[in-house]
Amino acid sequence: MSLGRAALGLAFAALLTTAAHAASLRTLHVDALSMRADRANVAVGEVFHLAIHIRVRENVAALDELVVPDVGTMKLEGDERHVTSSPAGTDVVETLTLEPTAAGAFTFKGAYLDAVDARTRKPSRFSANPVRVVVGAGAPVTPTMFAPVWRLMLGIILAGSLLLAAVVAPIAVLTMRQRRAPPVVTVPPPVAPAQPPRTPRDDVADALRAYRTAPATSSLMRLRGALFVAAGVNAGATLRDALAATPDRALHAALITAERTAFGPAHERDTSSAELIGATETWLSAALVPSGR
Amino acid sequence: MSKPRDVLDALHATIVGQDEVVEALVLAVIAGGHILLEGAPGVAKTLACRALAAAVGGVFRRVQFTPDLLPSDIVGTRIFDQKSGDFTTVLGPLFANVVLADEINRAPAKVQSALLEGMQERRVTIGPATHDLPAPFIVLATMNPYDTEGTYALPLAQLDRFLAKAVVAYPSLDEERTIVDRFGTGEPPLRANVATLDDVLRWQREAHDVFVDAKIRDYAVDLTRATRAADLVAHGASPRAALALVGLARARAYLEGRTFAVPDDVRDVAPAVLRHRISYDDRIAITGGDPEDVVRRIIASVPAP
Repeated sequence: MSLGRAALGLAFAALLTTAAHAASLRTLHVDALSMRADRANVAVGEVFHLAIHIRVRENVAALDELVVPDVGTMKLEGDERHVTSSPAGTDVVETLTLEPTAAGAFTFKGAYLDAVDARTRKPSRFSANPVRVVVGAGAPVTPTMFAPVWRLMLGIILAGSLLLAAVVAPIAVLTMRQRRAPPVVTVPPPVAPAQPPRTPRDDVADALRAYRTAPATSSLMRLRGALFVAAGVNAGATLRDALAATPDRALHAALITAERTAFGPAHERDTSSAELIGATETWLSAALVPSGR
Repeated sequence: MSKPRDVLDALHATIVGQDEVVEALVLAVIAGGHILLEGAPGVAKTLACRALAAAVGGVFRRVQFTPDLLPSDIVGTRIFDQKSGDFTTVLGPLFANVVLADEINRAPAKVQSALLEGMQERRVTIGPATHDLPAPFIVLATMNPYDTEGTYALPLAQLDRFLAKAVVAYPSLDEERTIVDRFGTGEPPLRANVATLDDVLRWQREAHDVFVDAKIRDYAVDLTRATRAADLVAHGASPRAALALVGLARARAYLEGRTFAVPDDVRDVAPAVLRHRISYDDRIAITGGDPEDVVRRIIASVPAP
């Protein structure tokens, strides 16, 4: 009887928890949630990118509900999240920079987001596809016939070092005790060199990297927006405004190809996309050359 | 095979300045829509229409709208032929490829309705028979905003039938000097038959295939919807305005030689598409505000994609 009551209580508590969780969820219209790695095969120590893209129809400032997958033994080198919001919706691209530390096949579980589905009005979990990456071992060591000799020599060196340490260490300790302890000086922590302020060029470079990793509409519009800012106009301006704002020919070329890629027909997207990457790289490399040369 | 830009050049050879008006005329031809020209007397509204009609060839008719005009004067009528003892149909001036409806607001509502019905349906009924209007069929209507005494203002629903409205402004100082030089010894000959009617029909077909991305469509819709929530506006634009924005954006992309529309196309045609589709509340008359400023503010308030 008491066992039954306890079970009922637990079930009620679980129901309350679920209801409270559902009440805290945002209502979202999720149009896409996908995940992809820029390489399917990597070697240990080699960096690769895992990009997660989510698109919702709502205009939101952030999507903190997005849960990225566990990266296991891999070393997380970087985690960039870019949000592009407009009245038409919001795109979030999160790029994880990872470095494998062990060989083997690794499957990332799909990133997920809990929200109330705007279509059904029910709490739902939206999940991305899992991604499999095969990590190969680094360059293998070739066994040679001299391996036993090397092992013997290593042993001799190690034994010699230990013997030397055993003799020298007591002498060193005695000598140090005879000296006066130096006054303690508090050294101020080294001042970190001031980071140079981010330039529009940095934003273009970042946006280009994200576009290369995940060539989706959101990353394309981000790259186009970064090029607009580099030209000296803000979001909401048009190509003509951007072209009028800068005399930079290389930037003009990148802006025009970005416009064609963003608004041209889908069957021309691959060609124009390659041209956009090329034109942007040309501008980035030209922008590195100091003016006046 | 001629290009729309040939017609544009032909118009520029005749009309001094008025770049926006000249482009609006050519865009209306490409989009297959009708256009309303508003401006003071003597600013080359009629000349621009005649130059366009001459450039694209075809049949041109001009109707001077007056208060005593009857619908049958423009549509046509049936006359009893005493010799044959039967009725014969006499087609009115609406049966032309380019129709200039001069001072459209001087004719009564009945005549305006007959014209606008023909514009919308592209066919008219005379007696028991329905007659298709020729293709292409373009109505260029002019309106003088000043001498409003004895005029019949076009209601918003009828203005909506015009794809675009171009405002013909007074010329600049230099342009006015050029006008005196160019027209001082008589009107120069118009550049005739720069393109054929077949060319025009081909442009209309090809412009229809211009790609419009969903972001461009959304921009057009956002602009249209913004007119409904704007300050000083009593009634905003209808969904027909969004259709007109996309149609004219396609035409502009085609004129520029592109196979896809860009945000600049929509933003450039937006004033011509929206200005006659908005009715303003009384405050604009009280404060002496400029309706063109309201349109400009609406366009500026919507960020381009």
